[in-house]
Order: sequence, then C-alpha cells, then structure tokens
Amino acid sequence: MTEENILVADYLYHIYESKAEDGNVVALRGLHCRVKKGEAVAVVGPSGSGKSTLLKCLGGLMKPSSGFVSLAGNNMTRLTGKELVELRQRTVSFIFQEGNLLPNLSAVDNVAQPLRHQGVAPRIAKAKAWEMLKDLSMEHRAKARPAMLSGGEQQRVAIARALITEPKLILADEPTGALDPVTSVQVLDIFKELHKNKDVAFLIVTHSREVADFADRLLELRDGRFVAQRGGDVDLSNLESGERDIFMDELGTLNLPPDIVLQMGGSGTYRVEELKAGKLALVNVDTSALEEVDTVLRLVDDCPACGFTYSEKEMLLCPECGSSRPKVSV
Amino acid sequence: MKRLRELWSKIERSPDSMRLAGLSAWRGKERGLAVFAGVFLATLVITTVFAYGIGLSQIFFQTSLENDPYDAKIDLDAEPWENNSGRTNDTVLFSSICDELMSMDEVADCAMIYGRQGIRTTGFFDREFGRAQPLNIESLVSPEGNWENVSLSYPEALESGPPINGDRIVRIAGAGLYDGEFRERHEEQILYGSWPTPENAVELNAVVLPSQLANQAGARVNHTIDEITISYVTESIALPGEIEDCSGTIQASAMEYLYCREEMTIRNMTVVGIYEEWIPGNPTLLFNPIFISDSALTDSQKVILMDNDHGYLGIAVDRSQLPTSSTSEAADWLTDLGEKISDKNYTSEELEVVYTDISGGSIIFLNIFLGLIQVFDYIIMIPIVILSISVLIYGLILSLEQRRREVSINRVMGATALGLQRMVLLEIFVISLAGWFAGYFLAMWLTPLVLDAVGFMSFRTGDFEVDPSLSLTMVLSVAMLTIGLALLFGRSRTKEYLDLEIEEGVRKVVKEREPRRWLHWLMLGIGILAMIESWIEDEEGLGPIGPDGLLENFFIDGMVLVFGPFLLWIGGALVLARVGASGPRIMRTLLGRTPLLKDVRRGLSTSGSSEAIYRLAVIMLLTLSIVTLAAVQGFTGTLVDERTSSLQTGSDIQVQFNVPLTENETRDALATAFTTVGLSESADVAMLTTVPLLLTNEQGEDTNYLTWVLMENNDEVLMWDSQAVPGNDLQQFQDAISSGYFTSGRDVSRDIDAPDSKENRERSGSGEWQGDAEEEFALTLEYNEINIVMSNDTEEEELDPMLLFSLLESDNNMSHMDFSNDDFSGRDLGMFNLTMANFSGADLSGANLSGAVLVLTDLRGANLSGANLSGAAILAMNPENPMENFMQGANLTGANLTGAWGIGNLFPTIQSNETICPSGEPANESGCSLELDIPLEIAMQMGSGMQFELDIVTRNATVKYAGIHTWVPGLSSAEATQALIIGEATWRQLVGEEAATSLNQTKWFINLGSLADENDGNTLRLIRAALEADTRVSSVIDWSSTHRDVERNGGLIFGTPGLLSLQFVVASLASIASAFVFLSLVLSQKKKDLAILQAIGASPNQVIRLTLFEILSIVLVSMVLGVILGVGISRAFNGFFAVFGFIFQIFGGTNTPINRDLIWPWWELLLINGTVMLVVVVALFFTTRRALKADLSMVLKGE
Repeated sequence: MTEENILVADYLYHIYESKAEDGNVVALRGLHCRVKKGEAVAVVGPSGSGKSTLLKCLGGLMKPSSGFVSLAGNNMTRLTGKELVELRQRTVSFIFQEGNLLPNLSAVDNVAQPLRHQGVAPRIAKAKAWEMLKDLSMEHRAKARPAMLSGGEQQRVAIARALITEPKLILADEPTGALDPVTSVQVLDIFKELHKNKDVAFLIVTHSREVADFADRLLELRDGRFVAQRGGDVDLSNLESGERDIFMDELGTLNLPPDIVLQMGGSGTYRVEELKAGKLALVNVDTSALEEVDTVLRLVDDCPACGFTYSEKEMLLCPECGSSRPKVSV
Repeated sequence: MKRLRELWSKIERSPDSMRLAGLSAWRGKERGLAVFAGVFLATLVITTVFAYGIGLSQIFFQTSLENDPYDAKIDLDAEPWENNSGRTNDTVLFSSICDELMSMDEVADCAMIYGRQGIRTTGFFDREFGRAQPLNIESLVSPEGNWENVSLSYPEALESGPPINGDRIVRIAGAGLYDGEFRERHEEQILYGSWPTPENAVELNAVVLPSQLANQAGARVNHTIDEITISYVTESIALPGEIEDCSGTIQASAMEYLYCREEMTIRNMTVVGIYEEWIPGNPTLLFNPIFISDSALTDSQKVILMDNDHGYLGIAVDRSQLPTSSTSEAADWLTDLGEKISDKNYTSEELEVVYTDISGGSIIFLNIFLGLIQVFDYIIMIPIVILSISVLIYGLILSLEQRRREVSINRVMGATALGLQRMVLLEIFVISLAGWFAGYFLAMWLTPLVLDAVGFMSFRTGDFEVDPSLSLTMVLSVAMLTIGLALLFGRSRTKEYLDLEIEEGVRKVVKEREPRRWLHWLMLGIGILAMIESWIEDEEGLGPIGPDGLLENFFIDGMVLVFGPFLLWIGGALVLARVGASGPRIMRTLLGRTPLLKDVRRGLSTSGSSEAIYRLAVIMLLTLSIVTLAAVQGFTGTLVDERTSSLQTGSDIQVQFNVPLTENETRDALATAFTTVGLSESADVAMLTTVPLLLTNEQGEDTNYLTWVLMENNDEVLMWDSQAVPGNDLQQFQDAISSGYFTSGRDVSRDIDAPDSKENRERSGSGEWQGDAEEEFALTLEYNEINIVMSNDTEEEELDPMLLFSLLESDNNMSHMDFSNDDFSGRDLGMFNLTMANFSGADLSGANLSGAVLVLTDLRGANLSGANLSGAAILAMNPENPMENFMQGANLTGANLTGAWGIGNLFPTIQSNETICPSGEPANESGCSLELDIPLEIAMQMGSGMQFELDIVTRNATVKYAGIHTWVPGLSSAEATQALIIGEATWRQLVGEEAATSLNQTKWFINLGSLADENDGNTLRLIRAALEADTRVSSVIDWSSTHRDVERNGGLIFGTPGLLSLQFVVASLASIASAFVFLSLVLSQKKKDLAILQAIGASPNQVIRLTLFEILSIVLVSMVLGVILGVGISRAFNGFFAVFGFIFQIFGGTNTPINRDLIWPWWELLLINGTVMLVVVVALFFTTRRALKADLSMVLKGE
C-alpha cells in the first residue's frame, strides 16, 4: 500500500450466484495483488481460473463479493457510482481480445467516445482522437466503421481509444489473442513504447510468450488465487520449468502450483521436517495419498473443442483452436 | 458559476450528441424500427381519434347552422309597458342600431324585423322563454289560389322545442333582410320566384310563402294578396292569472300563459317567392313564417307593433370568423360577441339591447349529444390505442435488449450511468420524433376520409368541408403522450439494466419476474363471461337461461358487457400467446413424421420458452384479433345501417299525403313526378302498396289493438327482413298472413295469452312455426264502424262525426293544449273551444264549462264535481276507436249537464244523485246518458227536418296465431310491439267489401325497381323532390336519403363505419409492421444459433427450412388463435353496442329493433392473414439469408 503502488488488491473474493445444481461459482478466493507505478505485469493461468473476473474487479467494473481494491491510492470498494466512474476515467483503460468497438460509430468517433463521456468539448475530443489515430498510423482509416476494419486495425483503434484518456494503468485481456503474429508484434511495440516513455503500468492477461516477455513479472493464477510469481523470461509452454516464487499470506495460507503438488506426490498429510526463518521442509507421511493424486490430475488427450490430439504431454494450450487444455479424472 | 459552465458545456456538446444519436438511430434501423412503428401507430391513432372528434363536431355544427339564417336576435332591453328609459317606439331610430352594429367586424348583416316579442331570458328551459309570442296569421284574402280551406295552424311548431305557438306566423322585414348576407342565406331556400330585392320588396310589398302553405293554397309567384290579417299580443300573463280587459281574443298557450291578441290588417301585397321550409331547429324565432316586406305596414301600424314589443333586429354574424376547431370555442366566441354587443348603448337615445344567441343555442343542443358520441368513439378506439402502445413498449424492450453490448462497451470506456441513459434516450427521442411526425401528418390527411366513410371500408369525398386541425395544446399533448411514453419506458428499462453490474451485460444472470398468470386468466374469464352473456342476450335466452342472461343485476351486467370485450382481448392474447409460442412443438407433433422434417427434426429447438418469441405471439394475437373484430363489426354495422334504412323507409319511397288517395291517384301523382324529373320510363315500372290501419278488439273484450293490414302484393314493395317475422322465413310468413293467420307484437302476444309466445321469440332458434303446431290458437277480431246517419223522409246519408262537431262555434280557443293535472277550479271556460285539449287529472271543480266544445277533450280522471256543463258539446268516444272513452273515471258528482249533448258513454264516470243529467233530471241508479240532441242551429245547417242517429256496425273475423313479429317496414317500430298484423282477406271481412274496394290511404309505399339505384340514389332523391311539390303531399322519405341520415346520425353511433375502417387499416398495418419488426429482432438474436447450426454441419437449405418451420409455426398458430380470439371479441362487442345503444336511447336517440346478426367477412380476413404470412416469409427469407452469408467465425467469436 505504499505510494509507488498504482494498484493494490487484498483478500479479493468473488462469487457468482447460480441456481445450477453444483451451486455458486467461486471465481476469486482471497486473492492478493500489487502493481507498481509503471510496472508491466502479466497474468497467466488456465481457463476458468478467474482471469476475466480479476480484471473487472481490479478495473472497478465490478464490485468483488468481498475484499479491498485500491486504485491510485483510492479505495475503490468504498466508492460508488459517479465517483467510481470518475476515478476510472482518470486512471484506467481496458483493452480486450476483440476490439469491442461501437459498431455504429466511425473509428474516430469510437476513439473520441471516452472523452465525450468525460464531458470534453466535441471539437477538442475529435482533434485528440485524430492525433491518437495518427500516432498509431491509422489516420487513413479514421472515417471507417468497425465492420470495414481488419482485426489488427480494430485492435489499434481500441488501443487508441484506451490511450486517449492518458491512463496510468491499462488492463488488457488477451490483447493479441485475436491477432496474427506480425500485428501482435506491432501492438506490443506500441505497448513497449508507452511503458518506456509514458510510464504507463500494465496488467495483462495473456497466453502469449511475446507478451510475457514484455512483462516485468508474471503471476500464475489458479482457481482464483495467485500461486506463483516469476520473472518475465519464463517459458510459457512449460510453466514447471524455471525459478518461481510461491506466495504465503498473513494467515499462512499457502498455495502450491499443481505441478509442484504432483511432484511432491499429491495431496495428503505432510509433516514439518525443517522450520527456520525463511525455510520450510515438508515430508509426506501418508502413502495412500500418492495413488489418489495420480488419478486426480491428468490432462486430456484430445482437445474437446476441435478434437486436436495433443502430441506433447506438457502442452497446456491447443495449437489449433487456442483452447486451454483441461484436466480430467480417469 | 460551476453550474453555468456545466450547462454551457452541455449546450456545446448537444449538436454532436444529436449527430451521434441520429447516426446510431439510422445505422441501427432494425431495432429503431420497432420504436418508430410504435410511436407512429400511437400518434396516428390518437391524433386521428381526436381530429375525428373535432371534424365530427364541425360537421354537426355546419349542418345545425344551416338550419337557421339568423345568428342572433337583438331586442330592446326594457319592456315597453314599463315605460322605461332606454327604449323607443321609433322604428327609424331603432333600425339605426343596425348601422352601428354593421360597423363591427363580426357582424355581417342586420335587419329590422317585426315578429316575435322580446326575449329577456337565457335558455330554452326557462319558462319565461316561452312567454314572448310571434305575430300570428289569422286570415289571408287573395283573388287567386284557394285560400279558404288552407289550415293556418302549424302544430309541428309545438313539437319542435318548447310549445310556444301552434299557428303559422309572419315575419315583417325591413330592407336589411333583402340584401347582403341575409339575402344570400334566404335565397338558398327559394324554390320558385326569387328572394325580393330591397327595391321590389318596397315596390310590390313583397311576400314570400313557405312551400307547404303555398302548395295547400295553390299559390303561385306573382299572385296578389289583398289582405293579410295578423294578430299581435297586447298583454300576457302566466296561468293561473287572468287577463281583465282585452279588446281582442284571449288565448292560452301550452306554456301556461294567457294572451290577449288583437288583430291588424295589411293590404295589397304580391307573392314574389316560395321557399322550401327549414327543418325546425332552434326555437328562438319560431319556424317557417310568411315573409312580408315592412313597406306594407303603415307608420301607425309600425308604432303599434313596436309598442307591443314585436320589433327586433335579426343579426347575421360573419360565420367565416367562427372558430371551427371545436364547438366550445365557437360557443365562447359567440358568447363574447353577445356580451360585446349588449354591453354597449346605442344611438343618441342611449338605447340598451339584449342579445339572444341563436347559433350558440344550437351549439348547446349539439354538445350534449356530441359528447356522448365522442365518448363512445373514444371507447371503441381503446383497443387500437392499447395495441399501438404495446407495439411501442415491446419494440422498446427488444431494441434495448439489443443494445446491451453497446452499453457495456460504453461503460468500460468510462461512461456514467446517467450519461448512458441520456445517450439511449436521445436516440429514442430522435426516432420517436420522426415517428410522431409521420403519424401526425398521416392522421391529418386521413381524418376527412374517415369522416366521409359510408359503410365499412367504403369512402367518398367532398360531402363536407372539414378542417380538423387540432389546437396546439392538443398536438403537444399527443406528442408528449407518445414520445413521452417512449422516453418513459426507455428510461425505466435502461435504468433497470444499468443497475446490473456490467458483467451481467455479458454473462446473463436473468432475474425473470414471474408473470401474473392468475391475472391473465381472470381477465380471460370475465371476457368469456361477457361473450357468453352477450350471446345469450342476442339470442334472447338460451336453453334454461332467460333473455336477461346469466347476470341478473343490471349494473353488474352493464359493467361486464362494457369492459368484458377489452378484458377478453387482453387476457385472451396473453393466455393464448403461450400456446402460440409453443407453435413449433405443436407443429412438430403434427408434421414430425412427414418427409418435410425428416432430416431436421432433431435440430428443432423448443423455443417456446423464449421471451422474445412469446412477445411475437402476443403481438400477432393482439393485432390479428383486432383486425377480425374491426372487419366483423364493420361489415355488421354497415348491414345494420342498411336494414335500419329499410325499416324506416319501408321501400324505395314512402309518401305521406294530406288526403287519402287511391292506388290509381297515387300512381298518377307519381307519373307527374316522373315527368317533372324528365324520366323516360313510365310510372308503371313502380309497384305500390299501402298498409291500412284499423283498431280492432277481441270479441267480448274492450281492449283495442292497432291492426296493420298486409295487402296481397306487399312483399313486392316492402323491404321485409327475415328478422322481422316469426320463424325467420319470409315466404312462410307471407303465405300464412294471406291465408287467415295473424301475428302479434310482443306486448299484444302477452295480452292475448298467445301460447308459446316465448318460444316464438327465439327467432333464430329452431324456427318453429306456430301454424304447424297441432293445437292452434285462434282469435276472433271485432271491428266497429261508427257513423252518424242523417235522415229525413226522403234520403239517408252517413256523416263523419268529426265534421259535425267542426261546425260548432266558440269564443276562445284553447284547443290541443296540455293542462293535465292543472288547477282550473272555479275558472270560467264558458263557450271555450277545448277540442283535443288534455285535462286528464285536472281539477275543474266548480268551473264553468257551459256551451264549451269538448270534442275528444281528454277528461279522464278529471274532477268535474259541481262544474257547469250545461249545453256543452261532448264527443267522448273516439270514432276510430269506439272503445276509447275520454271521460273514463271523470268525477261528475254535483255537475250540471243540462242540455249537454254529443256522443259518448257516461257510464264509466262517477256520478251521484246530485248530478243533473242532460235531460235535466237528477241521476238515478242507472246513471245519465248522453244523447245526440244536436242543437237546432247546427241541425239547420245540415238541412231542415233531419234526424240524427248513431250507427255502429260490428263485423268480425277469426284468425289463427302465427307467432310474434318484430316490425313492419316503414311503420313505427315502437308501435309494432302493440300491433297485430292481418292479411288482406281478413281485413276485407272486417271492413266489408265496399270499404275495401274503395280503399284510399294517406301513406303509400313505392318500389321503383332498378330506378332506385341509378346515379348513386340521386334519381331517387329527384323523384322524391318532385313528389314533394305535389300539394297533396305532406312528406316523402326516400331510402337513399334515409340511409345517409342513418349513417350520419344513427350510423355514427351504431355502425361507426369510419372508425372501424380505420381500426381495420391500422390494425392490419400494425400486424404487418410488427410481424416484420419483431421477426428481424428475433432472428438477429438467433443469428448465433444459426451460425452454430452451420458450424456443426447443417446445410444452408436445412438451416432455412429449420428457421422457416420454427417461426412460421409460431406465426401460423398465433394467427389461427388470433382469428378465433377476434371472433370471440366480435361476439362480446355486441353486448357493448347494446349497452351504448341503451344509453343513447336514454339521451334521446332512437331505438332500432334490428338485431346485430354478425357478418363473417372470411375473404377479407384471409387476405390480411395471407399478407401477414407473406411479409413474414419475406422477412424470414432476407434475414436468414443475411445470417447465412455472415462470416461464421465472426458471429461465433462475438461475445
């Protein structure tokens, strides 16, 4: 909660109420998170781990069921309605996988829209929008409607729209997910430049190596909690490799990434073998647990979405359709 | 300061916001269309209904103004006999007020007139209004024409408004009436000659005669008139006061005033014109006078008339300045003018005037009835207003649903809830403003058409000049209502989902409100009750249930019948829409095994649960049931109007003559008319009949029945309706009547204890024919013919009793007046002519009636105790109905009847031994009797040595009962319930061959064959006009004009063809438009489903087939249900019409015995349903194809 943090979140819980048979869905379970000013953070994790929910809670689009979120030193959970919107207008912008542009407005009107919402005079807003588009070398498409733009162009317009308010933090959800590699690189270049020159902080949900490379650090989200943190140079196709840090909160809750659990021999009873300041060693005492764990955590062989057969055992994303690879019990 | 800045920035941004709203409205046409259609329809309907109301009052207003050329009467404020200041008897000075008035913009013309006395009160309902008397015409002497036998009484005047005066009146006018605006207004009515110019008015002492009078006298233009004697009133006093010294005659009026009238003679005049009489309207100036130029008056005569308050100024206002937007505005304008005129003093003598508004008075009469009609019209338009509003609301809901994603995006971009709401509302505003414009202008164009509707879906133009412009307030109110409603619903709806968190815009967590099903079922239940109730009442009982229906309570019954149809409509649509929405399931069960669906059966989703589809079904049901209702009731109403015309006219033409004519004489009259019109056809093409009328009684009973005789050829002439006759079979009825059967009206049927009269009332039921029943009910009818037989030694002659009594002379005339229950005790009515006056229940105790003429004077229940009736002439027995005794129950205790004579039975009077009989003896146990001891001077006029004897011939005939009739074409339907119908043969038995052969009647019916339909009925109207010129004719009605009147007056109420046509058109449009709009919305929601279907390998053909099947089955099922619902509502609406018919009757409308037998216009319904189906298929085809063309991956990826 120091001055340097643009974003602080503690004990975030979010529960989607549902009348379905398996009851409510818990999307976030006591999550902690900090983003420093000008820092770029990537969030990785399988589908359904709560990434989108996290982004919305952090960006003030949604109130978490419980917990604390502070944006640029303002406690968002205490703010309501207009104040919240004003805080967001000043500090945050969103970028999504698809452009999410307004279909009936031209590119330049789309870009100018956030300023209109802030009550800026139309003339000024439009002039600024032109400028933004020019910066992203999109001025020749300014009058076009979204349907006439390519995916990359749409995303560039979306970025222009996100930047026009001069935000301190950009929350992005798979910003390059729908783009071809060349465009992805271009988009990332824009991000890098912003990061470097304008000191904008980023929190990006991604599966892409390039994006992860761009980030200063990388957080691993599992079942609504951050379980591990690494540097930016991680191999995303193999999260088990490389060094990583594991979090423990004030209550002592410790979350281990699944591969570690697997290597340790699965869930069960462990005895504290060694305990010193900064070090903890655990030893398994219940052998029956070992067999159980094997059956619980097994990756599927074929992609359920497109039917692709995973050749490599460790693959977490389907190369064909981009779906996450789920785990099933055997 | 901060606020100002905010405001300024808002203003600065508004053009941009409007641009974006317009842009987004235009680009999102599909979803905007629903809102547009809703506002458009709502505006169209509401504006048309309001404009219709205004147009209606304009038409009524115009026609009522045409009835009177005068707009106001101006009298001097002071009464002459009070000798007040501010008054003059100087005609020249008085007429100079005209000059001052004419300088006002509002006054178009002004004329000095001698006629009705000053009116110094407001309102027709004030008794004082009836005091002022006109100048009556007493006699007219002319060397030409035949004026001796012309009746100068004008009893029609007594029936039109307050009974002020029953004689022909004169209006003596100055030059002002012969030029300018007044000239134009009077000229319109001239039939022969011309309206006098100011010059020839003076030169010739011009007279203009009313056509009826001229016809009777055979007067022509240029005939000279030597003398006209008029009477003016010198004194008047309210009864029971008395006038003490009167050098003229004392008269009483039915308004219970006594007058002293003196006479004055005007000489040397010439007839310049003959005018067609105005239909009596406003009673202020009384009706249809003889116009005489005031040049015929001497100066002293003028002074006498002025001194007796007979001078006034007639005013014509500039009617083009009258506000025509509403009657109340016109009334206000006239009131203001009246105040402006009466507030001033005039001339050097400071004369004060009082202004009596004539046009304004017409408006008051008008407003009462018009208000009722408008209420009815508004109620009838309720469904269509609800319909357009529900299209609007559903359209809004769906269109906002489509905006969810957009709203989410904007929120992510930092839009505040308020800003977003404003944005959405701005767009709705732009769309609905466009909708309002379109609706408003279309409505303005449509209204005159609707007003000119003749029958359902048939219009003509140019009959009336209406300019139904709505006032600005009205226009703004309608705009506020429709646009405001759109914004209001838009607001609450937007707020609702802005309150949801954004993620719910993406991941839908639906909080569905449970619809209030019990309410829907309750509405449907009450609606069905109303339908059944109305059905039972139409059929006049069903099975064990009586004609009053299930609900005994009058009030509850009325409420259910009025509101039931609407509840049935809404409840039915809501409940049945659930069936409609599961159309695919129904159709799949029906068609599932056919090859049509073989390969796609599995792909069919059970979309019945979807909200959008339910709404589609609701809208289809609402619109199509209204289409059905409008068509059914529209066609039914048109037919009811036609039947009503047939009922009223009886045939193509109905002629009422003053004198009885034989068939040949009538045919000759018709032939003359044909020649006048210039028709090449011979009058032989026409078929004629009459319905002789007599009073009969059942043998041995003293109750009389009005008996109508159907001649052998009546069915060729009279426009019979199967509803009118028992068993609903016209041929059977005619056969029975001509072979000695009779039918009776409902009331008579009860009186004579006819068997199974109740069963026969079920006219449309089994059609049971009483004549075929084993046990026949027969009646022996008796007919009495009364004559006075005059005889001396050599000859014998029959004499009409009325003629005999008309020879009596009297001093004062109080004939034909109504004094029922008044107090005349001790009054002197000696030698008064009280012919046909009504004294029933009056107190005449101790009154002097010696020598009075009591011919058909109603004395039933009167108190005559101690009255002096010596020498009175009494006709207490109705010659046409010997059983009717005008002295029934009169109290004659102590009365002196010495020397009284006449015809009548004194047996049913109350007598005591103090009563002195006509013979001079006191009454004994057997009572007094009245003898035909005609006084000598009367007898002498008949010839010396005459003996008079009363001769009563009774004939009888036995007739068999054939059931209950409802009406006879052309005869009063009210009387029909109390009448018997017999055939010609029976009639001959009753009246005797001699009388039957020399049949002459005053009322004749003429069937003109194909001539009747020529030139849109114009030939018919021409023949009618030509017949009217015949001096023997008192009135003619033709089918074509009657039909027009029925549509204009009765039709506007009972048929309402224009509004139903409008309803039909609008509902058809609404069903087509909403089918299109809702389908495209539903389909764009289904876009993703379609893409998925394709993605999993369905061929385009299969996808189209699947969608077509799914949507078409919903539409088809809803359509069938909609028509069924419409049939039910149409039936229920009959009850609604019945209740309103009853209300109109209370407020002076006429009752029609015509049953609203529903007409089912299946062809029209099929056409509309077919069109809707076509539109749906086209819409489906386009949208599905577009959905198929769309980039699959894009569609699937979105959201």
